[in-house]
Amino acid sequence: MRKYLLSTLRELDWSLLALTLLLSGSGLIAIYSIEVQHGTSAGYFGRQGIWTILGTFLFFTAFFVPRKVLHNVAYIAYGVGIFMLLIPLAIKGDGAVSRWISIGSFGIQPSEFMKIFLLVGLAKYFADHKRRLSSIKELMTPMAMTLAPTILVLLQPDLGTALVYLATLIVVIFWAGIRPLYFFLLLAPAVSMLAAFQTLSFFLWMGLIIVVLYFGNLPFWTKIFNFVINVVLGGVTNVLWAFLKPYQQQRILSLFDSESDPLGAGYQVSQSLTAFGSGGPFGKGFGEGTQTHLKFLPEQHTDFIMTVIGEELGFIGVMFVIGLFYILIARLIAQAYSVKYRFDSVILIGVAAIFVFHTFINLGMIVGIMPVTGIPLPFISYGGSFMFTAMLLVGLSANMAKSRRAV
Amino acid sequence: MLQGKNIVEGWRALLIQGLLALIFLILVGRYYYLMIVFHEKYAEKATANHIRAVPVLASRGVIFDRDGKLIVDNAPSYTISVIPIEVKNKSESLERLSQVMDISLEEINRRIVKNRRGSFAPAKVFSRVPFEKISHLQEHRLELIGVTYSIEPIRNYISNLDLTHSLGYTREINRDDLDSFSKDLDYQPGDQVGWKGLEKYYEAELHGQRGFRYIEVNALGQEIGEVADRRPINPIPGHDLYLSLDSYLQKAVEEAMDDSSGSVVFLNHKTGEILAYVSSPGYPLELLSGRISSKDWNALITDPRKPLYDRSIQGLYPAGSTIKPVAAMFSLENFEDATKRTYVCRGSYRLGNRSFGCWKKSGHGKVNLHQAIEQSCNVYFFNLIQDIGLEGWSNMAREFGFGVLSGIDIPRENKGLVPDTRYMNRKYGERKWTKGNLLNIVIGQGDVLVTPVQLAQFAGMIAQKGVGYRPHFVNKVVAKDGTIIQDIQSIVDHTIEASEESWQFIHDGMHAVVNAKKGTAKAARQKNWEVYGKTGTAQNSHGEDHAWFIGFSLDDAFPYSWAVLLENGGGGGGKAAPFVGKVLRKMARRNN
Repeated sequence: MRKYLLSTLRELDWSLLALTLLLSGSGLIAIYSIEVQHGTSAGYFGRQGIWTILGTFLFFTAFFVPRKVLHNVAYIAYGVGIFMLLIPLAIKGDGAVSRWISIGSFGIQPSEFMKIFLLVGLAKYFADHKRRLSSIKELMTPMAMTLAPTILVLLQPDLGTALVYLATLIVVIFWAGIRPLYFFLLLAPAVSMLAAFQTLSFFLWMGLIIVVLYFGNLPFWTKIFNFVINVVLGGVTNVLWAFLKPYQQQRILSLFDSESDPLGAGYQVSQSLTAFGSGGPFGKGFGEGTQTHLKFLPEQHTDFIMTVIGEELGFIGVMFVIGLFYILIARLIAQAYSVKYRFDSVILIGVAAIFVFHTFINLGMIVGIMPVTGIPLPFISYGGSFMFTAMLLVGLSANMAKSRRAV
Repeated sequence: MLQGKNIVEGWRALLIQGLLALIFLILVGRYYYLMIVFHEKYAEKATANHIRAVPVLASRGVIFDRDGKLIVDNAPSYTISVIPIEVKNKSESLERLSQVMDISLEEINRRIVKNRRGSFAPAKVFSRVPFEKISHLQEHRLELIGVTYSIEPIRNYISNLDLTHSLGYTREINRDDLDSFSKDLDYQPGDQVGWKGLEKYYEAELHGQRGFRYIEVNALGQEIGEVADRRPINPIPGHDLYLSLDSYLQKAVEEAMDDSSGSVVFLNHKTGEILAYVSSPGYPLELLSGRISSKDWNALITDPRKPLYDRSIQGLYPAGSTIKPVAAMFSLENFEDATKRTYVCRGSYRLGNRSFGCWKKSGHGKVNLHQAIEQSCNVYFFNLIQDIGLEGWSNMAREFGFGVLSGIDIPRENKGLVPDTRYMNRKYGERKWTKGNLLNIVIGQGDVLVTPVQLAQFAGMIAQKGVGYRPHFVNKVVAKDGTIIQDIQSIVDHTIEASEESWQFIHDGMHAVVNAKKGTAKAARQKNWEVYGKTGTAQNSHGEDHAWFIGFSLDDAFPYSWAVLLENGGGGGGKAAPFVGKVLRKMARRNN
């Protein structure tokens, strides 16, 4: 056992751990700044510190799990994850927030851990079915695997997490080798729905679909079917829009004009922009941020945590964090390409996808180029479940990265 | 199957790496744009975000009379305000406030909306709150979240004079009024501004400039404390006004006026300074500054004696015989035989089949111009106007300041009416008006309308032999540090080129009015000094005639010219002349 651990440890890509810890450290600094300056003892810093330490253990746990074991339990884990997602829904009745399962005084968010279970499940599927993905039928299983948890979290409702699942699936499918034309047709309905919000964009997009279908090497009726699907989906978008909760609609809408309603949905973004902009190149200094400390920003320790770094440590501080994320993700992608096994590769690209999605949406949302969807920033945002998930994901990546394919 | 080889094509990895780089480039670009390019804009915004400039009111300039005696200053008053965001979801606070102040919740909400300056800034809901209410509020402070009170200066009328219409009052402006005010003076809803009279005319001078304290606030608008590194801007107090008003004369006039309705204007004809100014009835100024109850307001606007109406500059009256010197002056300057010309008065004048009466039914007999002025013979002037004609008369009247604004420094003056050919044609139609209209005009009836201040200016012009100064109240505008901001010069608005003999002739006539045996204003005569005057009776279709007496004194100690109007006072000689006699005697006693 000890021998296994030691020999495995020798294969650890320490840079992944280092990047992870640097990011977690940045988050702790920001939370410390909020807490100390507020003079409150909400205990955010202490708890986040403990979670970081526990998370590091989880990193190693995920790192040491033999790939074979992981592969074998993948579907079981996926099943457990789905079951856990059902629990909060079942106890929803009392009107409480239904994203949490409370265990003693701790609450855990099963939807966070589901990101791992889904990814492992997908990895197993693609590893076991080494196909070229040349027909829609071959995509049915992974799509169903993804849609099940997606629908469950949408019921909570948690649009952000649902989008993470979908993003993971899309990247994994692409990575697994789907034909570009199919990939296009797969994504087209989603784009059709978005484009349907505006007449001109909708017609331009339909034009593009017609061109692609015309030149695409597909049976005639498949072409017709795809075209009809896109037109119909575009048509029902407005109906689906009505099903969104008003706050979700508002959040999406506020993306387009964040300063129009400074005390409404755009308020946070407007205040966040002020925090970043006033931070300038070098920031106002640690603990000196007026925007954050005068409570102009709600949720500043979770989704808006970067505003603290932006305001107090400036552009330099923000670039430091963004740079860490870039190196981490670029490295994951590189390893996904170079590892020996398809299972490993899918997991690595999936983790990269999850991190890209989180960082881009979060870092974009707080500066007004992405909708406010309530997506935390990995390692930096306050929160235990996501810290654990992120640590497990990197640990898993480090585990998978051990195998190198012969070049 | 676990051993399945990884066979990802290179282009897929490249594409994904490329996408990743693109995504991060977008992020870096956005942050660069925000934090480097637009840093300054947001830095300002952040500062504005957490620093609230709390206005510090400037104290309004005070007002002195001509002897430097304080007439109006400022006294502290309590104001209750509500911070909108703090009461947004707490109706208990407002309910409590409504109980304490005994005013409906709807009214409070209406005032909050009216005086709102933002969610975090206090909106004024009560002014001039008695101290007992404030201490009551203080006791219930914990139930009154979002309700604050402050002290602000309001007008304090020190003198016991009735200066209703000259001083005017200040009033709080609300959101709707703001547009009508100059942008340079940065008014805010709830500010006290001059609304009538001198307070309005000299608003820019009196107002001062608000200062600011800088308070750090958090996102909830709660004040954290004074900002250390930002110096407060001290308010600049408004300038003080030094009036030409002679409090002693004003008091004497008010006492003589007693409770009758009418208007009195005394001015110094050597300068145009207004010495006394009464429009009666007035109303207590305290009533209208601050918030007036609708009951009081209705009582004021429905009062048949019209206390809100400034008779001295807005009241349009027939001038009556007081305007006869206009025709006399025309005659003296244009007719060779003016002084010798005589007409016979048999108590009436026939024009066609109509008869125009003289006030003396038995007639004055054969009268010359001097006697016609002295005894105010209508028939003489009926004859005279036939030779003068409408144009000649109206030009002369305008030269004397009738039909034009006097330019007094009180807003909303009426200019009266001097009918000329164009006016008569428009009113009655060409050739539809007759010499009969003309006869009415020359004795100041019919279409001629004047204000008391115009008649006082007219008397002054005669006293000065053709030099008419613009009437004014304010002599000096002085800053708090003593610097004279504005030294208001006497301005000559009207001059009439006429011979010394003509002026002397008019003087003699008006002297005789007061001093000769048959004069109509003997009651105004003074023992040791000469008084000149002219009585008038303005026919009033609504009731008894209005009594006029205008005049002047050439005594150096009393360079006064005046116009006295007593509504429904009957003949000018009967009531208005004794009125002036009484006031002048009182003034003589002061000088001794």
